[in-house]
Formats: sequence, structure tokens, C-alpha cells
Amino acid sequence: MVFFAQKYFDKMGKIWHRVCSMEGNELINKVSMKKFNIAVFGWLTVVMIAALVFPIVSKPEAWYDFPFIPALGEQSRILFFHVPTAWVTVVAFFLSMVYGIKYLRSNNMEDDIKSVSSAGVGVLFCILATITGSVWAKFSWGSFWNWDPRETSIAVLLLIYGAYFGLRSSLEGDEKRARLSAVYAILAGITTPFLIFVLPRLVSSLHPEPIVNAGGKVHMNVTMLTVFLASLLGFTGLFAWMFDLKVRLARLEKNHHP
Amino acid sequence: MYEFLAQNPLYVVLSIVLICWFGIGLYLVRLGRKISILEQRMQS
Repeated sequence: MVFFAQKYFDKMGKIWHRVCSMEGNELINKVSMKKFNIAVFGWLTVVMIAALVFPIVSKPEAWYDFPFIPALGEQSRILFFHVPTAWVTVVAFFLSMVYGIKYLRSNNMEDDIKSVSSAGVGVLFCILATITGSVWAKFSWGSFWNWDPRETSIAVLLLIYGAYFGLRSSLEGDEKRARLSAVYAILAGITTPFLIFVLPRLVSSLHPEPIVNAGGKVHMNVTMLTVFLASLLGFTGLFAWMFDLKVRLARLEKNHHP
Repeated sequence: MYEFLAQNPLYVVLSIVLICWFGIGLYLVRLGRKISILEQRMQS
């Protein structure tokens, strides 16, 4: 038993060492982006079907039953689409900040390309999270926009990243643009967790927080939680797909107009 | 088919979502292919 455990950990150590010694692009190439994209597409298709077709019942008995949530009912299905888009927004802005830090340390334009590409995809998902939340609010709260803390904080986040792209387009010279926008991406990235996770919890809100994590605990039945986590994973994969395309496109633009 | 969809509006939503999703997927795949062709041209 100990012999097999030692052999297993030795093998895992070697794999981990190989992964750590690879460059980011090399790693992505090894995994093969094409296969990854097809897997993401198939995964999200299954998640969408499950999220929309599994019945909502008052007493879940079958493995595919979703529980009825008071005051939400059928509208609770938004959870599988709205929350993952907000999650991808946070991931994208965090990645933009990380590449901003990397650029300041290395002065490599590749890091600037990745930072701005990540922020671009992040803004797209932030808009999607705002729209899906707003449509849901119309049928739950009575109007599309209520200046609820959640809505206000996401609007502020959109303004912050709108200013990021405004800053980039107003600067001339690649080096200067990359340096200043890297600093801005770091500052904006720091505000993201505060605006998404902290601020809406400091003030009272109508946002249905108690389902997802009232008191820091996830209150969901197993089926709902499984589909929800699968959706989070699928949307993160979709982000990776779109991020890859955007980076490659930005590289081509850079080479065509140096 | 029509009667089934009329009685189960959730399946109408599902079909609309899947049509949109397949459209987006097709667009992304085609965009990826075009970028690959441009990358190959740039390299050569």
C-alpha cells in the first residue's frame, strides 16, 4: 500500500513539475484548444437542457427534481445563467489584473494583449449579467432598474471598465498605453471583489442571496447544486474559449498594424 | 409537435435558447477557423 502511494505521489510530482515548467501557451497547445472548445460546447449544451427541462416540484423525490423556491418558482432557473455570467466577469477582471501585474514586471506586450483581451470579455459578460438580472427584476420587483445595491455595484463596475477602454483609446504610443492601462487594470481589479462580493452584503438588498449563500452557507438541494456548479464550470470554459480567440485576434491586429 | 410545445412552454424556451446557443457556437468555431487561416498566412 505504502509502495503504491509512494509511486503515485512520485508520478503526480513529475506531472506537476512538467506542468509548472511549461509556458502558458505551450500548456494550452498541449491540451489542444480545439478539443477543449468542443468539450465546452457539449458540456454547456447538456447544462442548458438540464437547467431548463428538469421539473420544479414542491417535494423533490427523483434525482432530476428541482425544489420549489418560495417567491421565485420557475424564475429560479435564472440562477444557472445569471450567476455564472457574473462569476465569469470576476474571473476575467481578475485575470486582467494579473496580466497587468505581469506586464509591469516584464514589459512584454503579450501580457498587455492578454490583459486587455480579458477585460474585453469581462465587460461582455458583465453586460450580460446586468441584462439578465434586469429582466428578472422586471418580473420579480416590478421594474427593470431599482438601484438595488447589486444593480448599483454592477453599474459602477461597468463604468470603471468603460473608463479603462476610454483610457486606452485616448493614449498614444504602445508602451505608454500598455503601462498606464496595466496600472488602471490593477486598481480596477482590486475594486471588483469589493463591488461584487462585499458592498452588496454591507447594505440591505432585495437580491435573492439567501438561496445561494445565506450566512456563508450554500442552501441548495443536490440536483440544483450539481447543475449550478456544472454551469459555473461550463461558463468558465466558455470564457477560456472566447479569451483565446480574442488574444489571437489582438495578436494578428498587432502584427498587421505594429 | 405544436400541441406539445403549446402545452409545455418551457420546451419553447429551451428550443429558443438552444437555437441561440448553436448560433453562437457556430460563430465562435468559424471565427476560430478564420483566425487559424490568418495565423498560418502570417507565418508563411
